[in-house]
Amino acid sequence: MSQPPDEIRCQGLGVSEGIVIGQVLRMHPGTEQVYHWKIKPAEVETELERFRTAVAQAASQVRSLRQQAEERFGKDHAYIFDAHQLLLEDEKLIGDIESYITAERVNAEWAIKVIGDRILYLYSQIKDDYLRERRSDVEDVMQRILDALSGVSRKNHQLSEDAIIVAQDLLPSAVADLDLEHARALATDSGGWTSHTAILARGIGMPAVIGLRDFYRRAKTGDTIIVDSKRNQVILHPSAATLKAYEAETAAQAKVRLRSDRKHRGPVCTADGVAVTLRANVEVPFEFDWVEFYGASGVGLYRSEFLLAPRGGFVSEDEQCRAYEAIARVAGKDGAVIRLFDLGGDNLREQFQEPEKNPALGLRAIRFVLAHEEIMRAQVRAIMRAAASGVLKIVLPMVADSSDVQRAKSIIEEEAGKLRAAGEKFAEVSIGAMIEVPSAVLMADSIARLVDFFELGTNDLVQYTLAVDRGNDAVADWFHTLHPAVLRSIDQSLRAAERAGIPAIVCGEMASTPAYVVLLVGLGATDLSMTPAAIPRVRRAIAGINASEAKAIVDECLRCDTAEAVESLVRERFIERWPQLFDASSLPKPKPPE
Amino acid sequence: MVERLLITKGRLGLHARAAAKLVRVVSGFESQVLLRRADGGVTADAKSILSVLMLAANQGTELHATADGADEEQAMNAIEEFFAAGFGELEPGTSL
Repeated sequence: MSQPPDEIRCQGLGVSEGIVIGQVLRMHPGTEQVYHWKIKPAEVETELERFRTAVAQAASQVRSLRQQAEERFGKDHAYIFDAHQLLLEDEKLIGDIESYITAERVNAEWAIKVIGDRILYLYSQIKDDYLRERRSDVEDVMQRILDALSGVSRKNHQLSEDAIIVAQDLLPSAVADLDLEHARALATDSGGWTSHTAILARGIGMPAVIGLRDFYRRAKTGDTIIVDSKRNQVILHPSAATLKAYEAETAAQAKVRLRSDRKHRGPVCTADGVAVTLRANVEVPFEFDWVEFYGASGVGLYRSEFLLAPRGGFVSEDEQCRAYEAIARVAGKDGAVIRLFDLGGDNLREQFQEPEKNPALGLRAIRFVLAHEEIMRAQVRAIMRAAASGVLKIVLPMVADSSDVQRAKSIIEEEAGKLRAAGEKFAEVSIGAMIEVPSAVLMADSIARLVDFFELGTNDLVQYTLAVDRGNDAVADWFHTLHPAVLRSIDQSLRAAERAGIPAIVCGEMASTPAYVVLLVGLGATDLSMTPAAIPRVRRAIAGINASEAKAIVDECLRCDTAEAVESLVRERFIERWPQLFDASSLPKPKPPE
Repeated sequence: MVERLLITKGRLGLHARAAAKLVRVVSGFESQVLLRRADGGVTADAKSILSVLMLAANQGTELHATADGADEEQAMNAIEEFFAAGFGELEPGTSL
């Protein structure tokens, strides 16, 4: 028997969350070699004609891609192709190539290569990161003309079930072209956080690790590969032990496959009759249809910062208003919770402020919008105007205590007053607070008196409670969603909401993972918001349990001293009580030895 | 020929989308429109997206704009408006 190839680990930058195990599908960037030949003076006109035909063909492809991108990702992302269209019409670019063909009497391919390289060189001199990255747009357009010249059209690649796209660089149009039903993840050698590939991958929720440098040449189509965005790495030919560890980790997140359940809509009841509302988290228009598809009770969390084309500036109040109206329509009578822009920290930081030493603890979320009041005023006005024609609520991200809430509320009230005075059509909206930092948990009672509802952001709550960065492998041993401190924080927050008589929605990864959901229900959570595709599995888990039994287990967990104790308790009790719902692979495991 | 001094206001400068918009605006006029970096750098043809992107005009970049042609006044007014409006995109700190 031949020796299996050694495991290869490559570090990159995880730009879109998730872990996927699958098979490599290498994507060629197209024609890799460009040949050079001389043409006769008499052939110049024919060569120019050949070039112009290719440009026209490329332009028509871009037009249809643009339309496709607009439908899939929304208008904000389609503008990439607007720039491509203009490049194909660009007198300077097209004119320079034509002059080169005429003056040097060379084939069109060579002229494109020469002029293209000159432009790319000039781009590489640009100091601004974002502007410099636009070189990929030029490359994309050049490649498209070259393809048209060689008569090859870049068509959809036929993908296997679990294909992981490995490429040197994925041009934006290649991402827009991907068969989303089958492609599971992306791994590329180049690219940065703000590259369009990264933006689109995040937009469609496809795990991606980029900036892997020289990974492409090592991978062969069909190789087994693990893309682990959480740890910023990919693993080629994983060893049996690595594979086993990852299979355990990915089992808990289950497979995200489109599976509608038309029979089941609205709230779900536990076997002993506790009703739990299931809402959807949405970000991009691409996901809007899924609210209805998966039978969600409206939108529990709309992360409004996705409205901002990444690094593309703010959208106007009117544009925002239309976007919120669209969300309200999607959400229907159950309404949508709009989280105010959660900016600063790690997302979009570089464009607004100097890099902070410690962005996670810096000017972000509610602090950011309070510091940039005009942004907040425009946003809340847009939300209240949109609320005239639908059910919308506002949630304030990352409040530390009641003073953040007070300040935000008085701004919202002022804007409502202005709208009223101006005779605008609007509606006042309920205001909630995200409970996601320890101070908010400790001060939950006083916050609860000021707001209409709570929303527990469990992802941040885990990180801030344990002071552990989930993306940092060095502290992975300290990251435990099921830490008793986390469970107690959730418990305290839910109790505070109960005492104040306000509802509490729980969102974040915990709300989309069946094993964690059982504990949340045990803690008394009756309103969950999750990524739409998780709704069927969460519904199944809740329908199969007794809330009273879940409560008994969670009461034991709350008395545990360590995360390990909670985890083993959960494993034991869940398999004992609900063997039809849980097996070892769907429950938290002790961290395997690295 | 008319000439004005313009300042790139948006925090992101003349990024891809703004550049695309500018080219669309300017292409509606007959006049030739040039943008020259006041710091002595590149000059760009405002009807060419490639050339506009090459200006690498980030926030605060001063640009000398010249318009030459039958509709130079209208063209210049349109450009000035586009710059004043922050490229039609809401930016932090500006009034809405």
